[in-house]
Amino acid sequence: MKPFERADDGAVTAGIERDEALLLQNLASQLTALLREGDGMDPAVVRLIPDAYPDDPAASAEFRRFTAGGLIERKLANADTLILTLSDSIETGVLRLDPQQAGAWLRSLTDIRLTLASRLGIESDDQAPSEDAILQNLYDWLGFLQNSLVEAVDATAPDAAAADG
Amino acid sequence: MADTIEQTRVRERSALDVPWVTIVLNDPVNLMSYVSYVFRSYFGYTPAEAERLMLQVHLTGRAVVATGPREEMERHVEAMHDYGLWATLGKADA
Repeated sequence: MKPFERADDGAVTAGIERDEALLLQNLASQLTALLREGDGMDPAVVRLIPDAYPDDPAASAEFRRFTAGGLIERKLANADTLILTLSDSIETGVLRLDPQQAGAWLRSLTDIRLTLASRLGIESDDQAPSEDAILQNLYDWLGFLQNSLVEAVDATAPDAAAADG
Repeated sequence: MADTIEQTRVRERSALDVPWVTIVLNDPVNLMSYVSYVFRSYFGYTPAEAERLMLQVHLTGRAVVATGPREEMERHVEAMHDYGLWATLGKADA
């Protein structure tokens, strides 16, 4: 996969191989399954829907009761956007995201990375890489992808000129 | 007695007036570029201010990114959870 680039119409694009698209779709599907059926005690689920009041379990539970449903629905919609745009990319070899789709991608890539980090046991900034090299490589690649997408989205933003200065 | 009631009322009032804050906590997953992007695109911070707050999160472990009524801070925390940032709320003086 190539880094994302801005297109003239505000969209961002990246060349993508079929295998990469299928892998990302698979990850998004796993995230969807976790959000739909995951155990509320699973550390990955706890990180995706964290406590709002760290010192007040009752207030956290109340906050969760009012917000978790909507939060999960939006995370599922973001994962769907990822899956659908990747399906389109498999024909053309080019992933193309309008600004709204790019926003969904950034959020969903974050959710996927948070879940992988939980599985890898990543808990601090200066931790040695995991012994699970395959998962660690996947995690690093997703980080590269997300950084590239942030930079491309920033380059298309109206205030990009100010941000560069 | 009336004075006591009045005083109690004043105390409750000032307790209610304590503002709440939205706090973003450091985590080892979210990229610095992404955290800055969230602060700019959601809160409308300038690039310089977003960068300063992002570095504060990264270097000190946390930063207050908004202050105001509790309901508003709850909306911000929910929005941060949408973005996958680790955010909590609390009273400003806590």
